[in-house]
Amino acid sequence: MKKRLIVNDLQANKLVAVSTCIFMAASAMLLGLSILLFGSLSSSIDCLMETAQTPDFLQMHAGEIDEEELALFSEERGDVEAMQVCRFLNLQNSQLSIGGKSLIDNMQDNGLCCQNHSFDFLIDAENKRIQPDPGEVYVPVCYKREYGIQTGDVMQIGLQELGVAGFLRDSQMNSMMASSKRFLVNQADYERMRPLGHEEYLIEFKLREGSDTNAFSTAYEDAGLPGNGPTITYPLVKMMNALSDGMMILVILLVSAVVLFISMLCIRYIILTQLEKDKREIGLLKAVGISKRDVRSLYFSKYLLLSVFGCLVGVIAALIAAEPLGAQMRELYGEAGHMDLIYPLMILGSLAAEGIILLSVYRTLGKMEKMSVVRALYGQGNYGKKKNLYLPIGIITASAVFMILVPWNIQSTIAAPGFVTYMGIGESQVRIDIRQTEAVEEKAKAAAREIEQDALVRDYALMHTGSYKTVLPDGTAYNLMIENGDHGRFPVRYLEGSHPDSRDEIAVSILNSKEMNVHVGDTIRVYPDLGDNHAGPVSCTVCGIYSDVTNGGKTAKACLAGYEDQTPVMWSVIYLSLEDDRLAGAWVEAYRTKYSSHDDGIKAATIADYIRGTYGQTIRNIQKAAVVSAASACLILFVVTLLLLRLAIWRERSDSSLKKALGFTSADIKEAYVKKTFQYVLPGIAVGCFAGIVPGQSLAGALLGSMGAYGFHFIINPIAVFVVAPVAIAAAAALATWASLKEVGRIRAYECLGARTGND
Amino acid sequence: MGTVLTVRDLCKGDILKSIGFEIQEGEMIALMGPSGSGKSTLLYNVSGMDQADGGEVRLGGIEIVGLREDEKARLRLNQMGFVFQQMNVLANLNIIDNIVLPAVHAKKKQRRELYKRARALMDGFHIGDLAERRVHEVSGGQLQRACICRSMMMEPEILFADEPTGALNQAAAMDVMEAFLQINRAGTSILMATHDSKNAGVCERILYILDGEIKGELKLGKYTRDDAKEREKKTLRWLDEMGW
Repeated sequence: MKKRLIVNDLQANKLVAVSTCIFMAASAMLLGLSILLFGSLSSSIDCLMETAQTPDFLQMHAGEIDEEELALFSEERGDVEAMQVCRFLNLQNSQLSIGGKSLIDNMQDNGLCCQNHSFDFLIDAENKRIQPDPGEVYVPVCYKREYGIQTGDVMQIGLQELGVAGFLRDSQMNSMMASSKRFLVNQADYERMRPLGHEEYLIEFKLREGSDTNAFSTAYEDAGLPGNGPTITYPLVKMMNALSDGMMILVILLVSAVVLFISMLCIRYIILTQLEKDKREIGLLKAVGISKRDVRSLYFSKYLLLSVFGCLVGVIAALIAAEPLGAQMRELYGEAGHMDLIYPLMILGSLAAEGIILLSVYRTLGKMEKMSVVRALYGQGNYGKKKNLYLPIGIITASAVFMILVPWNIQSTIAAPGFVTYMGIGESQVRIDIRQTEAVEEKAKAAAREIEQDALVRDYALMHTGSYKTVLPDGTAYNLMIENGDHGRFPVRYLEGSHPDSRDEIAVSILNSKEMNVHVGDTIRVYPDLGDNHAGPVSCTVCGIYSDVTNGGKTAKACLAGYEDQTPVMWSVIYLSLEDDRLAGAWVEAYRTKYSSHDDGIKAATIADYIRGTYGQTIRNIQKAAVVSAASACLILFVVTLLLLRLAIWRERSDSSLKKALGFTSADIKEAYVKKTFQYVLPGIAVGCFAGIVPGQSLAGALLGSMGAYGFHFIINPIAVFVVAPVAIAAAAALATWASLKEVGRIRAYECLGARTGND
Repeated sequence: MGTVLTVRDLCKGDILKSIGFEIQEGEMIALMGPSGSGKSTLLYNVSGMDQADGGEVRLGGIEIVGLREDEKARLRLNQMGFVFQQMNVLANLNIIDNIVLPAVHAKKKQRRELYKRARALMDGFHIGDLAERRVHEVSGGQLQRACICRSMMMEPEILFADEPTGALNQAAAMDVMEAFLQINRAGTSILMATHDSKNAGVCERILYILDGEIKGELKLGKYTRDDAKEREKKTLRWLDEMGW
């Protein structure tokens, strides 16, 4: 009987049943998908790092090394499990081309290396260690899609050629956020190519389980071991690996939370309207002796059935959607392990979404218990205040706009040139890096002199970075990477305070400020290398804190250069702006031809290219999530508007019939519905735009904080925000209104004269 | 003959003021009075559908007023039957499914047996051929007789009827009243609120309610078809005296 009642009810209210099911399926799908993608990503990265045996500490070094000294250091330390020195042949990008496509625009340090013997293995698509044959080269998998490379293509290094035998996964440098990329070749080929590049060293340590990487890093620096290059630690590698796809997953998670909210709201309205409609029947069931608990359970069973179906559809949809969304992830990090755990977790996530909805359903159904039998029997009283069915249309319009705008705004912000200022890079048009070469300082100064003479250049700033010993306010010694120069010309975004202006000021990155436990106003003693002139330390007051993801995120900015400081320069950067910013691309092209193509240590790029190269993967992934999110938002709004307007028309059927009896036309009644609907849709759009920009910014700020970009402000695309999104949403609402108003034409004027159950 | 229902000092707000009466086994009583006099309220409070403010209602040996909602529901399911003016039915079920609904819920008998009984009741009230019809495919009189069948499925001790013919035409109303008489003859007590003197005239007793109080009682004795006209006249005269 219960089954028949439920089945008949579902058949009689198909639209309501289908809409409820869609909400339940969408919630289950999005939460399940987030868990599936997150689990797969996390497991793939773990699996890759485990198979590849990623080092815990890596120091890149350009220059001579003493391997015996390193071996002695690692033997003396109890926390070192293994140590190895790998050679990396840094090649000029202008010399490189693969499948006929030049890598001259590439911002990465590309180079050759051989397979390691102890750990840090480069592995293939099947997670097997690669042993290339002579004449073969394995290309980083992240270039596969970017350059459309295929196995069998020819890689040219100057005049030498190697055949692309496949693609490699590099657990350390897979992410485009890592600034170097390794190409794997045979030992003989490596030796053959040596004269073409500049050899650097990767000094790698595998630490024992439970060792403190930070403590090891400090000890390494204190020991005065080679350190002319960036330091990378295991957690940083993992973070960089996780970020590009992780951002997309976080966006999907955000969307799933909004959809869950919308689902609960809509289903609540559906139930209350249904209860209103079924009031007499509920009264009857109670009157004939069916307990209120049993009546509630009867209704609940219907939603339980719908949720089982919704969950099933949601899980299948999540599995289907995970295929394209996880394609890049699988390509970069390989297949995930522990799927026997991830799939049940995903199903649990989908069930949790259903559970939350069902809980809300159960609570809402509780309202029917409160109404007395007699009032229900005579159709008197309401289940709470009579619901305004247009209000949820407004709320959901706002939520849908929010759902569209937040991913769009995140994407436009990351893609905007100004975004780099959140990442510790000055806002300019061109960036020239002079690093991993000999005589960095001299080369940088020479380049700066040339630039100064260039009539096209409006302004420039030269920055030198070196490692300084410092003493913190609490007396602790700390090695600090300080970038010296004029920081006022192309400032980064400061979360607190501002850039250093004088010798006694220093700004630190947020990661450093946390680790050093210093705040604006604190004083740090910095020890510059003054040669024979032992003038002592410089007391620097912390004048600003900024966010930074470059060079491991632990940096500082000061103006120590030019005061007899002889601290070796590890690398230099020149930021510059041009008189005509449209010429940035052409200027860089000309500069490369003139200078950097002759020197492997000088790399020039427009900031736009720099962003594309570094965050391209992330932007593409967020774009995918933004498309999914926008499509879901429009679909949800369409379904909600269709459903709620149908319910409103049903509820006001008698009034509409009366109007017709009094001489109103269908068009008059429809017009009133359109006006009423858009009275809520339009403010909903305005609220959604506001929410997508202001609270959305805080939410996105929290997401981007995980990328290291703190104190974030949206850089919005006004056409997308104020034209495209509102028009798309208004169109979805208009389409649904048009579809639901067809019902008005079917209302007859005589209906208001009295409806009864029988036929006489 | 035992007492089926005892009501003493029953109060409900301003509507019912210290009402008291008894119904014996197999008795058929009519409640009459002008609109707003408290007839329906009395029925709902006596049956436990509404919560009385005070007084005592005993069905068999069970005191109803103090029971919990669920206990009252169980009592309604097993020992009471209801027929309403609005012919309340579930639109999603066909006629026979509506009839067996409370009995199926009670789970006291096998489903096959219940359907057999439902068919027998329907045949008895001349609606046997409507079993599979949807509720909007039958007439009001037929639907009300289906509601009477539903009320009889659990063989209740007492049947409450609130204006059972109020929404019907004369012919349909006669069919329905015939059904009530049939039930009553079989031994079920009936308490019926009605505006119709013809309906009241077939009852053994008539209670007249005004402003929440029983103002008078007319004893007519058991109904026979032969004295129908005489009973109606007597009823009308009495109602006239009561100020109807």
